[in-house]
Amino acid sequence: MFKDSIIILRKELRRMFTDRRLVFMLVVLPLVMLPLMYSFMGKANRTRQGEITSYTSRVAVCSDSRGGEISELFFQSLELLNVHVETAGLDQLDSLKQRVVDKNLELLIVMPDDTGDLITDNTVLDLSVFYNSTGDYSKFAFDQVVATFAVVSESIVSQRLREIGMSEDILTAYTINQYLAADETADLAEEGSVMGKLIGIMMPFFIVIYLFANSMKVGLDSVAGEKERGTLAMLLVNQVSRLSIVLGKMLSVMVAAIVGAVSSAIGLRIASRYLIDMSSDSGVNISEYTMGSSAIIQFAIVVIPLAILISSLVLLVSTFARNVKEGQGMIMPIYIAVMVMGVTTMQTGDVPPEWMRMAPVFNSLVVLKDIFMQNAVWGNILFSMATSLLAAAVLIFITLRMFNDERVLFRI
Amino acid sequence: MLRVEKLCKEFRNGRGRSAKTVKAVNNLSFQCRSGEIYGLLGPNGAGKTTTLRCLSTLIKPSSGNAWIDKYNVLEHGQMFRSKIGFLTSDMKLDGYFTPDYMMNWFGQLNKMQESQIEQQKKRLFSDLQMTDFIHKKIDELSTGMKQKTAVAISLIHDPEVIIFDEPTNGLDIVTSKAVTDFLVSRAESGKTVIISTHNMTIAEKLCHRFGILVDGELKEEGSLSDIIQGSSWDCLEDVFFSYILPGGDHV
Repeated sequence: MFKDSIIILRKELRRMFTDRRLVFMLVVLPLVMLPLMYSFMGKANRTRQGEITSYTSRVAVCSDSRGGEISELFFQSLELLNVHVETAGLDQLDSLKQRVVDKNLELLIVMPDDTGDLITDNTVLDLSVFYNSTGDYSKFAFDQVVATFAVVSESIVSQRLREIGMSEDILTAYTINQYLAADETADLAEEGSVMGKLIGIMMPFFIVIYLFANSMKVGLDSVAGEKERGTLAMLLVNQVSRLSIVLGKMLSVMVAAIVGAVSSAIGLRIASRYLIDMSSDSGVNISEYTMGSSAIIQFAIVVIPLAILISSLVLLVSTFARNVKEGQGMIMPIYIAVMVMGVTTMQTGDVPPEWMRMAPVFNSLVVLKDIFMQNAVWGNILFSMATSLLAAAVLIFITLRMFNDERVLFRI
Repeated sequence: MLRVEKLCKEFRNGRGRSAKTVKAVNNLSFQCRSGEIYGLLGPNGAGKTTTLRCLSTLIKPSSGNAWIDKYNVLEHGQMFRSKIGFLTSDMKLDGYFTPDYMMNWFGQLNKMQESQIEQQKKRLFSDLQMTDFIHKKIDELSTGMKQKTAVAISLIHDPEVIIFDEPTNGLDIVTSKAVTDFLVSRAESGKTVIISTHNMTIAEKLCHRFGILVDGELKEEGSLSDIIQGSSWDCLEDVFFSYILPGGDHV
């Protein structure tokens, strides 16, 4: 029986790996898509950031007078920024606001008439700074000006304290991590584990997506396509049991699924470099992350049964469907459900809910996350393997029943 | 020898209370001996294809059975299949592969040794004049070449009983002759051949005995002379029409 399955598998694999278009879809696309996507996003992000920081923002200061010496501090601080300052009277306030709305002006600062007096009188000065959050330049100018004015505020407060004979240190109760040694870091996470967490959040999602996507590419055609083309009957009238046919086809779908998952995992590993570049302040180094041989074995123990489960599910739908088109319609809600499972697992914290450890697919994703974060427990790994295989066995049994039911097999 | 006994096949059309049971084949019995070509004739919907699909084990009879030697369709599906070569016009081959590859593959599925496969390939390729295109992709072949390939593949395991549904359907006259000559040669070598056809000319030329099937029931059976003898008709076509045309003697 198993020999016949291998004969069927060999033909399906030959079909898969000698068809250039199929090889591109199954192997090359998952491998290059994520690196291409992230490198493009990273480059676009860097270009945009460069454009924003080099842009000279137009800032209007609206006040009826320049408010004396202290108010001059604000103007001096603005001169340190890459901004073009224009001044206007308060009677132009509405038209200036409209310019901010129209993105003809990035920022509008409204100063009270008596700025100088308010500061020297030790009262709180209220500046209004208007910006347009839909404009990148406006938002950037707002952040810069608010930060600069905070420094001005500190210097005014210091000046006030000095005038009444007090030290400015009185304003600081404590500092955090300011006096760490040069070779010391506050984050005590093990080397590579930060990167592991980043990969652990994303990798299971992409693995399950590609397991499913590749299973769909091959699996729907495997039975529904053969029904549609009339090639299945040719196989059924030969001396091969229907169980052998189901197993042979399931194995071929599984191989396609695993190839896709491994390609996407390698692709994501390459893409991580660009992903980290995109958040250059994360302080994470991709070269710190390595997977040991035991982690690779654990990965295989979880991914292969998961691939068997997903392949069996796709094959069941393929067997039930009259043709590939109907199969695609049937499988789409399941695909979306699997994507939701992937996203849900991404968002679980360090301790996922107990039900997630019990449910097939979910538990595999959670365990994969643990494996990438290098804190997987063998009990959980074996449990996820067992549940995947059990669920797959049930699906194969149902598929076999369908294969023996002429109403399902020949309802073309 | 193939023996069919009281074969019935019912289908349920529709769902729930409105579902109706349709008898596609009703109490059909016949025998087909070694070296004989048996023609199953009948109009569309008469039950010919359903009968042959039951014999191929693709579908299960509702009742009755069919035997080849000690094996029957209900209990020994896989062994029964090893005794038959089955082909219908709606059975197609995977166009991505070559006839040569598919012959090897089906040979392996039929538990044949490599040497047996090679021997059988050589014979079938020669008999069906296929040698020019055995290494071309099936997708690139003409309809006739594809049909020859399908015939060769269905007979790779050298079955005792050959069951072909409309074997010359859609073929040009040359390919049609090649296929019919091939079937005659198989019968002459002692194989049992059952075909279904609409083509009375081919049936008369090819078949030793006939069964006329109308509404799932066998109305006439025997050799051409048996059927015509003692009747007012002088050819098979007249007998056939007498069962199906309005105003016919048997309608």
